[in-house]
Amino acid sequence: MGILQAKKLVFEYIRRDKDGNVDGVTRAVDEVDLDVERGDFIAILGHNGSGKSTLAKHMNAILYPTEGTVWVDGMDTIDEEKLWEIRQTTGMVFQNPDNQIIGAMVEEDVGFGPENMGVPTKEIWERVDESLKAVGMYEYRHHSPNKLSGGQKQRVAIAGVVAMHPKCIVLDEPTAMLDPSGRKEVIRAVRALNDVEKITVILITHYMEEAVYANKVFVMDEGKIVMKGTPREVFSRVEELEEIRLDVPHATKLAYELQKAGLNLPDGILTAEELVEALCR
Amino acid sequence: MSIIVDHVSYVYSEGNAYESKALNDISFQIEDGEFIGLIGHTGSGKSTLVQHLNGLLRATGGSIYYNGADIYDLDYDMKTLRSKVGLVFQYPEHQLFEVDVFQDVCFGPKNLGLTKAETELSAYTALKQVGIADEYFYQSPFDLSGGEKRKVAIAGVLAMKPEVLILDEPTAGLDPRGRDEILDLIARLREENGMTIILVSHSMEDVAKYVGRIMVMNHGGLVYDDTPKEVFKYYHELEAIGLEAPQTIYIMNQLRAKGLPVRAEALTTEEARDEILRVYHRA
Amino acid sequence: MIRDITLGQYYPTNSILHKMDPRVKLVGTLIFIISLFLFDSIYGYLAATVFLAMVIKLSKVPFSFMVKGLKAIMILMLITVVFNLFLTPGETLVSFWKLTITKEGARTAAFMVIRLTYLIIGSSIMTLTTTPNNLTDGMEKLLNPLRVIKVPVHEVAMMMSIALSFIPILLEETDKIMKAQMARGADFESGNLIKKAKSLIPLLVPLFISAFRRANDLAMAMEARCYRGGEGRTKMKPLIYKKRDYMAYGSLVIYLAVIICVNIVLR
Repeated sequence: MGILQAKKLVFEYIRRDKDGNVDGVTRAVDEVDLDVERGDFIAILGHNGSGKSTLAKHMNAILYPTEGTVWVDGMDTIDEEKLWEIRQTTGMVFQNPDNQIIGAMVEEDVGFGPENMGVPTKEIWERVDESLKAVGMYEYRHHSPNKLSGGQKQRVAIAGVVAMHPKCIVLDEPTAMLDPSGRKEVIRAVRALNDVEKITVILITHYMEEAVYANKVFVMDEGKIVMKGTPREVFSRVEELEEIRLDVPHATKLAYELQKAGLNLPDGILTAEELVEALCR
Repeated sequence: MSIIVDHVSYVYSEGNAYESKALNDISFQIEDGEFIGLIGHTGSGKSTLVQHLNGLLRATGGSIYYNGADIYDLDYDMKTLRSKVGLVFQYPEHQLFEVDVFQDVCFGPKNLGLTKAETELSAYTALKQVGIADEYFYQSPFDLSGGEKRKVAIAGVLAMKPEVLILDEPTAGLDPRGRDEILDLIARLREENGMTIILVSHSMEDVAKYVGRIMVMNHGGLVYDDTPKEVFKYYHELEAIGLEAPQTIYIMNQLRAKGLPVRAEALTTEEARDEILRVYHRA
Repeated sequence: MIRDITLGQYYPTNSILHKMDPRVKLVGTLIFIISLFLFDSIYGYLAATVFLAMVIKLSKVPFSFMVKGLKAIMILMLITVVFNLFLTPGETLVSFWKLTITKEGARTAAFMVIRLTYLIIGSSIMTLTTTPNNLTDGMEKLLNPLRVIKVPVHEVAMMMSIALSFIPILLEETDKIMKAQMARGADFESGNLIKKAKSLIPLLVPLFISAFRRANDLAMAMEARCYRGGEGRTKMKPLIYKKRDYMAYGSLVIYLAVIICVNIVLR
């Protein structure tokens, strides 16, 4: 059994009008089945309102399913007794770095999770040091988070989750508010966690370039998973992606255009290097 | 009719330990009807610079002329300048406050002292320009989606009938669909109204397709100021200051390095495709 | 303008005051503030000045940075001075038109200015040298006995620490909102009081909405990181008194003794 599993997961919320009367029901997540293996790097793509963030919030029991079941490392998320164990198993990083930093000093912020878990003082320090090193923010441990750049803040937030020793980390659009260099920093840190620390990663994003590093990509639209597979498989379906108004990586798009114009190129080109090589052959 | 920025500098908290130079001796001129991309990473000074153009920040050195008049003259009317040089900030959440969309857009023209009828007419025109449908007019602006909120925020500034429209990171945090909608909207506004537009962004990819001139900022200075094709020739240098040229530029340059005689300056996927096909068909 | 408020901001330098136990600093600040209102002679202020000067020196925080905090209370200070100067009865010093300045008035006004200045600087030193978390940790521990009578000490301390760390973020946001509205022709400065109050609506509505959104996000982030109140929580930086803290307490006792002496002996 995988680390994260969802079976026929449905999440509905009730819309209300100005006077608080029930206006209708919105199905944000619609019968989603999911199975994530230990050590996977999953990217979930979709535009705003596709249900990807709602799905993510089920993975550490911030939201509970209306129908269906979610299991985190074998624990059913509606089991209240397991709540803290579940939240310890899947850590969560949110979009806005300013709204998830609690400490006034980088190291204090990273220590917040372990403190809540009742980890002994000496071990908290070990965990804080080691997770700050893992995201490359150790030199900043005495800084005030407010003075850091967006990318640095987000790496501190990731360290804060890593210090809780989770088996899995869910990142809900961690790069949406960052500039290109900040985005690169964060993605590099995330990849290192997956490669080196072997933590299962679920990255929710609408930047296709970031999904290229995943070993599986899920595309969501209107609460459903509409495509899944390796990045190569998913991104070679250029027309379908464009239909739901998502981008594909530039190299893929260019390769697709060239193919359409009659050039003989292999399917599933993802990076500039691959395209250049194929063209020069 | 133009904006002239003449040796402008801006120093934060001048004279104490926290002193920092945000703008360093910047000079340029913008002609009527230009479409400009102002690029730089976070903290490069691009937001500080545009806040000078409508007088929200006052330069600590140098002068700015709008249509020939020095905006730092004692009797210069700042309020009129702010309506002529419209500035839309990054987050619509920072300006939306009224109970419904329509009244929110009325805020700007009302501040200019227009009559009720004139105010409502400007607001209506502006909302139509950004493509907000009538049924949204009496909704709370807070209930809209991210992309719609941005459109209302843009309408809020358009309603003041500016001659120059500056947009600070208008696509930040939007998904690809929202981003394309906003960028297309901006391009359309320029075509229909002949406005001068300054698009502030950290994404080369976004602006390359649309603008005729790119200004690149780094550490409070202006490093490049030219057409996109010329600026992207320095894609290595741009990378060193935390920026990226459009991906096609990289692909084309790599192809050239491998000996394929393509021209390197393709900005869009379509241009790159045609250029590669041209070389292939000749071979 | 808005950036000038230093109260509640931490200034990182590695001074002995920074390393000191927050409980000492809290008690010290309290004693210092009380002492300011105890004495009524020039010698008392001399003692307070010496004490404050020593603390400022020890803190290694630039003096100019502390003074900036005073700007925020300038108006309050002016009002106090005016009231004391003109409304204190006593021996006439100067008299013009319908106003008289008395000797007593001038004296009280001067003392009031010194008191307020010292009060602000004294308490800024505490916040400048102590991180909000540290400060509330100290408060939590000092007030811990109150838990017996069911006061939610930990929760209150946590709320205060979060509020403090959000001050700079919300100030920055206020600045941005003001600019966004000024770009739409809003005027926050001119007009009478009612007009001014009305002009604040376009500033306050976005600010409140943003504050609520942030609070909501933060609560979710805290829960996601297993926060569930003070129960079963351990401390990364537990408060343990060290030698320097006992020495600091010693200095405080000496200061207190001096103050009492001054008050009794040098009246």
